[in-house]
Amino acid sequence: MVPERVAKAEKKDWAFINAWSLSLFGAIAALFTLCTLWPEPYLDVLSFLPDGLFVTFEVTVLSISCAVPLGLLTGLGRISKNRAINLLASTYVEIIRGIPLLVQIFYIYYALAKFLQVSGLTSAVIAISFCYGAYMGEVFRAGIMAISKGQSEAARSLGFNRFQTMFYVILPQAWRTILPPVGNECIAMLKDTSLVSVMAMPDLMQRGRSFAAKTYLYFETYTIIALIYLIITLLLSKGVSFMETRLNYYDKRK
Amino acid sequence: MFRSLVFAFAALLLLGSNTFAAEKILVASNPTWPPMEFLDGQKNIIGYDADFIKAVAKEAGLEVEMRETAWDGIFAGLAGGSYQLVASAVTITEERKKAYEFTKPYYEVQQVVVSRKGTHFPDFASLKGKLLGGQIGTTGIFVAEKAKSGATIREYDDAGLAMQDLTNGRIDAVICDSPVALYYANKKEGFSDKLQVSFRTTGDEFYGFVAQKGNTKLIERLNKGIDAVRAKGIEKELMKKWLE
Repeated sequence: MVPERVAKAEKKDWAFINAWSLSLFGAIAALFTLCTLWPEPYLDVLSFLPDGLFVTFEVTVLSISCAVPLGLLTGLGRISKNRAINLLASTYVEIIRGIPLLVQIFYIYYALAKFLQVSGLTSAVIAISFCYGAYMGEVFRAGIMAISKGQSEAARSLGFNRFQTMFYVILPQAWRTILPPVGNECIAMLKDTSLVSVMAMPDLMQRGRSFAAKTYLYFETYTIIALIYLIITLLLSKGVSFMETRLNYYDKRK
Repeated sequence: MFRSLVFAFAALLLLGSNTFAAEKILVASNPTWPPMEFLDGQKNIIGYDADFIKAVAKEAGLEVEMRETAWDGIFAGLAGGSYQLVASAVTITEERKKAYEFTKPYYEVQQVVVSRKGTHFPDFASLKGKLLGGQIGTTGIFVAEKAKSGATIREYDDAGLAMQDLTNGRIDAVICDSPVALYYANKKEGFSDKLQVSFRTTGDEFYGFVAQKGNTKLIERLNKGIDAVRAKGIEKELMKKWLE
């Protein structure tokens, strides 16, 4: 849940050997070696997982696409001068940040079922995007506040209204500061989708658990699961650092 | 010098006296399987299995300390040596026999499919296209998979959560061992008025206590204990206490 730092490529280490490529190619090589040398357990594990991988992706993509707008709204709410909106956004952040994601998932799926029944996928997306929306709200707030006040003053004096100032002047600049931590949150989110297996959602983690429970091959199963999560998150972190480089275009010309 | 000798002697005596007392074994149980094993208000593991293993161990000259464990991983813990025995309504299967040692069977069960009152399923074929729940890694799930009924199988962390989702209407049926199924369908408050037994599978299963591969010494002692418990009529008493 604590956002981790992503090993990102910096300008000077264009060299092939860096933390990212070592981890990625190491993981792929390990996966490949295990599956060719001992196809008996390892390939069996691997062939059991694809539909789980699909569920994991489904939950992650849906959660990201809900959490980012929610985070933006929360961030805007947190800096809003309107007292009611500010209070609402702040309370939301305080409450959600104080409850573990696993508890939130149990709460939405099992506890609230007394009044309202939502499917496993919906509960998962609600729980995860509400949780990460709160964290991202803080990221958005920090990013927006990092833009100097002169920018919005200049925009306002040119006749932009507050909405236009935010969306045409402040946010495009803030996005550069916001992107890396938001990328981190997305990666953390992908890993946290493994919690949805408690709702009997057949995600990657649960596929692994039921395979291990059937065959008692705990070491083999969880080795493969760990490698797959590692490969996915490494690819995702590369995507984030690629976007970061694109956004830092203007920095480079300095 | 004299003092340290006395201490050493005292320590030896203590060690010696310990070996004379009943040997203690750690027994793992997943207390989400009423009435075989569940937690009472004081977080003690109670139920038929807990009482039965205690009685068996007593006959075998052993002392039992119960350890609460998640089902998913209970065998991994046994293989890793975190405890010496699993007493948690474990069905004896060929696959499990390959990896672990079992005592002689101590209880016979079937798999039972439970549904909501008013929706009856006569057999696996009638579950086609339905959602069937169960506890992850239990024989109920394996039987349901083998039946290839066309039902989508949802695997929960414990049977209670599956029963909860069944009463909530998110799934259509739950498959689990007969004592648990009957407990929820007939006895448990908040569930028995909403649930009914749909059908029983034909294949009989037997529960056994499980030890690490190669620990035949413990298994032999426990087998003798099981015989003694049966001969003394303790088994009948316990069945009456928990299963009627």
